[in-house]
Amino acid sequence: MATPDAILVARGVEAGYAKKQILFGLDFSVSRSEVVALLGANGSGKSTALNTVSGFVRPQAGSIRFEGAEIAGKAPHRIFRLGVVQVSQARDLFSEMSVEENLRLGAWVRGGEVARLLDGVYQSFPRLAERRRQMVRLMSGGEQQMVAIGRALMADPRILLLDEPSGGLAPSFVAEIAAIIKALKARGIAMLIIEQNIKLALSVADRFLILRDGRVSQQHDVKAGMREEEIVRRIYL
Amino acid sequence: MLAVLPQLLVSGVATGMLYALIALSLTVGYRATTVVNFGHGDMVMAGAYAALVLVGWGLPYAPALLLALAGLFLLGAATQRALLQPILAGPHLSLAMMALAIGYAMRGAARMEWGSEVVTLPRPYEQDAFMLGTVVLTMDELVIAGVVLALLAALVVIINLTPVGRLIQAVFQSQRGAALVGLDVHSFHGAMWGAGAALGAAGGILLGLLVPLTPDIGVYTLIRGFAAMTLGGFGSPIGAVVGGVVLGVMEKLLGFYVSTVFIDITAYLVTILVLLIWPSGLFGRRAAVRV
Repeated sequence: MATPDAILVARGVEAGYAKKQILFGLDFSVSRSEVVALLGANGSGKSTALNTVSGFVRPQAGSIRFEGAEIAGKAPHRIFRLGVVQVSQARDLFSEMSVEENLRLGAWVRGGEVARLLDGVYQSFPRLAERRRQMVRLMSGGEQQMVAIGRALMADPRILLLDEPSGGLAPSFVAEIAAIIKALKARGIAMLIIEQNIKLALSVADRFLILRDGRVSQQHDVKAGMREEEIVRRIYL
Repeated sequence: MLAVLPQLLVSGVATGMLYALIALSLTVGYRATTVVNFGHGDMVMAGAYAALVLVGWGLPYAPALLLALAGLFLLGAATQRALLQPILAGPHLSLAMMALAIGYAMRGAARMEWGSEVVTLPRPYEQDAFMLGTVVLTMDELVIAGVVLALLAALVVIINLTPVGRLIQAVFQSQRGAALVGLDVHSFHGAMWGAGAALGAAGGILLGLLVPLTPDIGVYTLIRGFAAMTLGGFGSPIGAVVGGVVLGVMEKLLGFYVSTVFIDITAYLVTILVLLIWPSGLFGRRAAVRV
């Protein structure tokens, strides 16, 4: 499954919370500049998979290698330093701070030229440039999602882990987020995406994996053109 | 009777500023981890005794105080990392018991050396008194007010005007968010408990100017810090300061106009009444206390 170009390779990952195991031998890989969508029913282990890669959930077994280095079980801040950057489902923004303060904090650890990174984010999200002094708490869900993605981009990620980027957003924002993810893909940023909106997932991903009971049950190239109804059937039936 | 009022207010504010410092030091650790450190009073005690020992060894006052504060920073950070962090996800009661146990262990260690002996911290200045109209101001009160105001000013500057302060605010707003931008949240928790212990130690050293020290002084400081925090609103730094000053003034007023018994029980009464009637306190958003 792993190509020579793979930057993220998970093998036999088992993980869970307290006494409840969620992942039972998860295998997958993501190649350089590739966008991989994780699909699956609720409880299939999608978020746990993402949180295990980013270090928020400690795996009980298995290996996760990023650019050749073993990262399984490392603390989140160590994994982050390698350029594995997550946008969580809850967004977890600093709600009492302005857009720009949130963005600047995104660049805090991995350094980089803050002014250049900030320009890049404002070019991708002109709406954030207009609202740079606005307090995040007062923004709509879609705008907050843009801040969350922008904050992750400020860390100059090698791979972006996106957990339900369109979750709970109005349709106009879903289209906008899709356009942003495509633009990031065009820039060559590798991504691992969890997305309930299959149309959106298929429009941005190169490959999709279907998770069932904590392991990958199927994987397909988007180019193969499987119909949406067929994918839904394979996820739930 | 009213002629004494200005004097009571001035003395109350001076003592209250000391409570404010202790409540603030308790708030720093609480804000970082949402755990109330029931062993914090003993950290305050340890700070005062550390200064006493170092001065006793003949160190000049300033380096002795700085070393005591640094030592307490390390002690606070180390106890958080080694003893509390591993059980942070566990039941609240375990955390409360662990914090209490750490406090008792420190108190026990102090008792082994000093027993119930009462000791006093030597002053690095002459005790003096100044008249301000009819009000007497002691040098101790001026020193306490000066040190607490300087520390408060330094904290306001650090939190609002420095990158480290921005980070502290970020963690207070969203711990998960801070982890998502790559902060080592565990080390941050340790550092904040260390900062809380060092601030508490400063409070303990100042307290040593007002009252004789015993290894049991931690109970006195914890209950007053806790009452000030409750009155001001849990987790609010400004609430801790205002709560401390109000508590100091209330002790003096009730102690003089009602009965001297109130000096010792005001903190308990304030805690009970505020929790019962006004749990969010003066500046608190909600009284979600994780003990």
